[in-house]
Amino acid sequence: MNFLRILESTAFSEWVLTSMLGFPTLIALHSIGMAVAAGLTIVVTLYLYRLVAGIADAKLPGILRIAMWGFLLNLVTGLAIFVPRGTEYLANVTFLVKMLLVLISAAILVWLKSHVAQLARKSVDVCGSVRARRLSLVSSATWIGAIVTGRLIAYLGSVY
Amino acid sequence: MGLEKLGWLADTALGHWVVSSAAIWPTLECIHFVSLCFFMGGMLMIDLRLTGFFRDPCAGLINRMLGLVIGAFLVNFTTGALFFAGNATKYIDNPAFELKLSLMVLAGLNALYFKFRLAHLLATEEVTGDSKFVGYFSLLLWAGVIVCGRMITFFAR
Repeated sequence: MNFLRILESTAFSEWVLTSMLGFPTLIALHSIGMAVAAGLTIVVTLYLYRLVAGIADAKLPGILRIAMWGFLLNLVTGLAIFVPRGTEYLANVTFLVKMLLVLISAAILVWLKSHVAQLARKSVDVCGSVRARRLSLVSSATWIGAIVTGRLIAYLGSVY
Repeated sequence: MGLEKLGWLADTALGHWVVSSAAIWPTLECIHFVSLCFFMGGMLMIDLRLTGFFRDPCAGLINRMLGLVIGAFLVNFTTGALFFAGNATKYIDNPAFELKLSLMVLAGLNALYFKFRLAHLLATEEVTGDSKFVGYFSLLLWAGVIVCGRMITFFAR
């Protein structure tokens, strides 16, 4: 907690909280990262469950790589938003649930990309892989859970 | 922009319903953001195809993504309209909201340009200068729509 308080008192935190550009810019980039990461993971899931078509298996690792870049943007901007109010966020159960979901989703996204790349290299039908389908489903579901809890932080924060 | 003419929406039963309980607005926000992700996922796939990231053998990709994109857009637009009905004063005379709407109109015109001038690309794996322009412009416009959407709160009266 002491470390978080030190971070909260830095010039960076001051800039995020008080400048015209700080928080609005970070939250806008955070949303773009979320849309890229969650959006592409959801599309891949829909493809693996044959609900949308037209994607070549060989392109799946590339799509998931872009999703990971989206996640990186989401993570960096999320950390920058967290730093100025870290102690407050850590006391918010909704935020902690969101973080747990994001961590699960990101870890599974990395696992999914590596698995899909392996299948694509061997020219195996990726849609036929039960593991690929389950991984993508869990990653998409946890992304959606993270988005929902993220929206609810402001509303449920005072409950706990 | 003339949005003040729609201020009466806040006095309708629908407008009252949106703010009638503490649960409705947050629920609508959740649906708005989740549908945004479905929409952007499909849109990114189309734009990446147009810019040349996907080619062989993704010839039919655009047509096959359209159902997802249109469906998600309708959900997103409906929840957005409900926000407006519930709290019109937040959106009227709000430069971020006006810019967001303008960018959405431009994105629509960009899509129409594709439909009427580049539709022949749907059945091929071809990437042209025009298709690259449409793809990159679309990416830029939708990113702008997201940015402006997040700015609405900061510009509200």
